[in-house]
Amino acid sequence: MSEFEKLKIVTRYELLKQFRGKRFYGALAITVLAVVLTIGLYEGLDLPRQMGIPDNIMSQYGAEIFAIFVTSMGAMAILAAVFFAGDAIASEFEGKTGYILFPNPVKRTTIVVGKYLACFIATATILFIAYLISAGALLGFYGQVPGGILGSLAIALMLACSMISMAFAFSSVLKGGMGATIATLLTYMVVFSIISMSLSYAGYDPWFMPDRAGDTMTATYGISMEQVFGEMAGGGSMMGMMQASQDPVLGFLVLLGYAVILFGVSIVVTKRREMI
Amino acid sequence: MRESIVIEGLSKYYNGFLALDNLSLKIRKNEDVALLGPNGAGKTTTLKLLCGLLRPSSGAAYINGINVVEERERAVSKVGAILETPEFYPFLTPEETLSYLGRLRGMRGRRLGRRIMEVIELVRLEEWSKVKIEKFSRGMKQRLAIAQALLHDPPILILDEPALGLDPRGMMEVREIFKEARKRKTVLLASHLLTEVAQVCDKVAIIDHGQLRVYDSIAHLKRKYRSFERAYLKLTRAAI
Repeated sequence: MSEFEKLKIVTRYELLKQFRGKRFYGALAITVLAVVLTIGLYEGLDLPRQMGIPDNIMSQYGAEIFAIFVTSMGAMAILAAVFFAGDAIASEFEGKTGYILFPNPVKRTTIVVGKYLACFIATATILFIAYLISAGALLGFYGQVPGGILGSLAIALMLACSMISMAFAFSSVLKGGMGATIATLLTYMVVFSIISMSLSYAGYDPWFMPDRAGDTMTATYGISMEQVFGEMAGGGSMMGMMQASQDPVLGFLVLLGYAVILFGVSIVVTKRREMI
Repeated sequence: MRESIVIEGLSKYYNGFLALDNLSLKIRKNEDVALLGPNGAGKTTTLKLLCGLLRPSSGAAYINGINVVEERERAVSKVGAILETPEFYPFLTPEETLSYLGRLRGMRGRRLGRRIMEVIELVRLEEWSKVKIEKFSRGMKQRLAIAQALLHDPPILILDEPALGLDPRGMMEVREIFKEARKRKTVLLASHLLTEVAQVCDKVAIIDHGQLRVYDSIAHLKRKYRSFERAYLKLTRAAI
């Protein structure tokens, strides 16, 4: 029996775990709610007008600006990925299920890859549903779906990949799944933010930071944030959006790098970890 | 291959603490050997090393002549094991759990389905076979652990306290299962229950503080020390 066959089996049962868990449906409900709320508030409060976006810009890029708002799935990609991946490896040791799984003739690498695929599929399912709702809203309100939505989705998926990898790396090192989940979220939301901000203030472009790369999902629609918000560039939240105009391809590659390296770390550590 | 299990000068340190000290043991095909010793003697460490869950600090272990450290997957393919107090995925039923583990061992289709029913019946979990394991008691999980160890009908069984958590009836049933299994399997059973060992195994390896004290037949030890209990007390120290 090939390792590929075993990989399919591990992935299948890990997926069963994800889809039978309350976590999946909780994450799905929160994501759908967030998207629907964003759409409702954007239209209900007429946000473009409130934000002072000029009419000529709105008539030209209305669909793209709406898409930027409703497909900003960075936080959702991060949360879903971390919820599914945090305890993926640690739980085998913490919960002692490893005593049943590991004595089987299957490589630890195969187990880790299978778990990774299951976490990715679960996260991707949630993101696909969120993007589908957004695409439906775009069609309904503007009669078109900007091509950039695919780029945005690709970056959201790659951000999810890098977060799953980071959670796997922590999960392979730490004793408990909860610790791995918290460590991943703190690293991304606090440590990386501090580094990115410090570098920005010091005049360096933190293009290699995953949080900055993740923000590029808003830059896939081919419109200049400076053009849209240029007249208002006095600071606050708009500045954050202006900073996001990094090359999306570079952002994607940065995230891919984090995903590959951290996933490699998790495999090496899990292979060496003993069931004490 | 006459020897199913060979342990050569196996040692294991946990952060400087010597848990297993240069243990050597040879278990021939279809022999039933008990690993007996007080708590912390190194029994579970030995079994974990044999299943590749730990890396030895020195020495080597072979299953059917295959080095466990170098070719773990191939070595454990002929082994059924119960280690420590195993837990199962709570979201699966016993049938699904056994299907998962059976498939990982290359079983499939009707053969797998039939075998799952056989082992579930053997450990008396028929009524619970479609119930999620999250509802199971300790004893029921232990029965399922026995079922998964026997699922692929392995020629070698490595068992760590297999009757742990079972009620008296369950303990008797499990002993009967292993008495039947030992007729055509090699069994290495770790326990600190002298009665269990005497009923299931012919030979015993008594270890204490990580060291092998004696490796002999139970019948010979009974003759030499006048009883099995005396032999155990003479050969092990009172405190850890």
